[in-house]
Amino acid sequence: MSIDLLVQALLNGFGLAMVYVLVALGLTLIFSILEIINFAHGEFYMLGGYVTYYVFAVFGLNYFATLGFAILAVGLAGVVAERLIFRYLRGKTLNAFIVSLGLLWVMQASAQLSFGVLDKPVPSAFSGIVRAFGLVISVERLVVSLSAIVLIAALYLFLRWSRPGRAMRAVAQDADAAALQGVDIELVSALGFGIGCALAGGAGGLLAPVFAVSPAMGALPVVKAFIIIIIGGMGSLPGAVVGGLLLGSVEGLGSLFMGSAAVSVLGFLVVILALLVRPRGLFGGA
Amino acid sequence: MRIRASIAAVVIALAAVVGTVVMGGAQDKTLSIGVLGPLSGGAASYGVELVRGAEMKADEINKAGGLKVGADTYRIKLVSYDHKALAADAATAANKLVFQDKVKYIIGNAVGATCNAVQTVTEPEKVLFSFVCWGTNNLGPDKPHSFRVMLSQWEVAEPFYRWVKEKHPQIKRVAAISPNDTSGKDTNTAVVKALKALGFEVAADEYYERGTKDFYPILTKILAAKPDMLDVAAAPAGEGGLILKQARELGFKGAKGWTAGTNPFTIIGVAGKDAAEGVWSPANINVRSDFVSATVRRFGAEYEKRYNEVPGVIAVANYAAFDVITKAMQEARSLDTDKVLAALTQKPFETVWGRLVIGGKETYGIDRQFLYPVVISEVRDGKVVDIAQVLPTALKK
Repeated sequence: MSIDLLVQALLNGFGLAMVYVLVALGLTLIFSILEIINFAHGEFYMLGGYVTYYVFAVFGLNYFATLGFAILAVGLAGVVAERLIFRYLRGKTLNAFIVSLGLLWVMQASAQLSFGVLDKPVPSAFSGIVRAFGLVISVERLVVSLSAIVLIAALYLFLRWSRPGRAMRAVAQDADAAALQGVDIELVSALGFGIGCALAGGAGGLLAPVFAVSPAMGALPVVKAFIIIIIGGMGSLPGAVVGGLLLGSVEGLGSLFMGSAAVSVLGFLVVILALLVRPRGLFGGA
Repeated sequence: MRIRASIAAVVIALAAVVGTVVMGGAQDKTLSIGVLGPLSGGAASYGVELVRGAEMKADEINKAGGLKVGADTYRIKLVSYDHKALAADAATAANKLVFQDKVKYIIGNAVGATCNAVQTVTEPEKVLFSFVCWGTNNLGPDKPHSFRVMLSQWEVAEPFYRWVKEKHPQIKRVAAISPNDTSGKDTNTAVVKALKALGFEVAADEYYERGTKDFYPILTKILAAKPDMLDVAAAPAGEGGLILKQARELGFKGAKGWTAGTNPFTIIGVAGKDAAEGVWSPANINVRSDFVSATVRRFGAEYEKRYNEVPGVIAVANYAAFDVITKAMQEARSLDTDKVLAALTQKPFETVWGRLVIGGKETYGIDRQFLYPVVISEVRDGKVVDIAQVLPTALKK
């Protein structure tokens, strides 16, 4: 087996890993602030895909403007979901688990009724391939990966330096102490849930032209996101990035040596290993 | 005189009312017919076409006053369930249809593994079951109530690759990729068997999990084997389109085939015009082509008007199956499935494929396979063009 092939396989694995990291970051942000696991997170990713389909493919808006619109629209949908449903479930992990499962089915069935069950292709915003050192990568995937990296960096800067970002981190560390310092927990919860969903919407918008959109499109990324979070550690941004790269490389290389069924369980094997060796994940806190 | 006239008027009115009630009673009889299929997920295009094909025939019958079987007239009621291409869901749906909805006919299902699951319910209950599933063991002497109403990989692969060898002798190495389930395994098996028999080299014989979206990893391995032709054998349009799109992104420029290519219009939509260019589909029917009968062209036009999409072979096959089975009910003058089965297998019917030929005994051990000529089409500049017609071996005989 040539080195070129191994590097190409790694490149394939890394190619979309950053997009799944975006989904994972949204999930982990929501968990950190509201202490709930949102199983309907993939459906917000799906919403981002459909917004992109209608705004970009049907109405012909510029791709990056569409992406911005998808992030805003899905973020707003997240805020609405938090205000109407999840604010009452803050800290009630089991109740939120059941409710988010219900929301998943409602959103998926609504999408089937509204948008139809067939895949809707979204034309590629960028065509062509780049060849270098015997490797091939499509321009479209390159742009998608770079856009995802930009969004991850923007999230990092927002959480690190902005006032609302610091408030979110404070709530994630200790909600009661944050409240005593004058942080508006209600506002931070809504904002956190909205941003988490917006990240999923952005990921859906990025992958819509790569894979086409369908009502069930959210299932796969959310599974990958859970794997990434468990490997990297709940609540850790660098952990999510490293977890994503690790999952991408394991799946990319694995596909050279084994069948697709075996590759699809590789990620779960890594999760089992991670849970045995380091139960809180690579970057998880105490 | 006035009293007599009044009595006569009352009698006539009563007779009219009674007559209406009787006629209404006759028309009110309902015949429930089941339709199964994947109506969501990557293979949803199959299920949607199955339901639409059935809907069109059922509406046609109902608008004409219902289905007259013996002395009774029935309104057709379709009962359809989505099994998402999952065998377990298909078994549940079949149980619902047979024991809850009490159907004796299931006209329509797709994806081989789900057909096997449905047959565990339909065969013991003598439910007549017609489908377009591509599983080899979906037909057999132990499944006398089951019919395949569309050509399968075993009828299509050999004549298709014989044509490739004849018309494109530069193609030597072929890679086949299919979903990792019964339909996929059986299709790749048929393709590989045909390739080897015709002297091609098998560059790759690969499988993917249904629902896969990123085919880069598996395509990297396949393209490293340097195939001259890539066959997205049993992939449904949603996944086959992505494979072609991503193969092009990875630099593949060879010939492309879709042995189970039921509707090239859909694959153009997913793959894009450039990536779909040149794809050969031997299992397709092009409703706009001169190769097909006037009935099929008319069906195609009505389908497009009603659903705003071009129908593929699955819609046409299920429409034809519905037509033939309801005609067999009329011929048998009964809804008893054994009597209908006898009528179906003993008398030739005219169908959209022409005169119906049911064969397949040499492959499956029983004649339960609808046979008709294979039309090979090619995608040219975003359009589907029929380029050849070849005969399955069983039909030649």
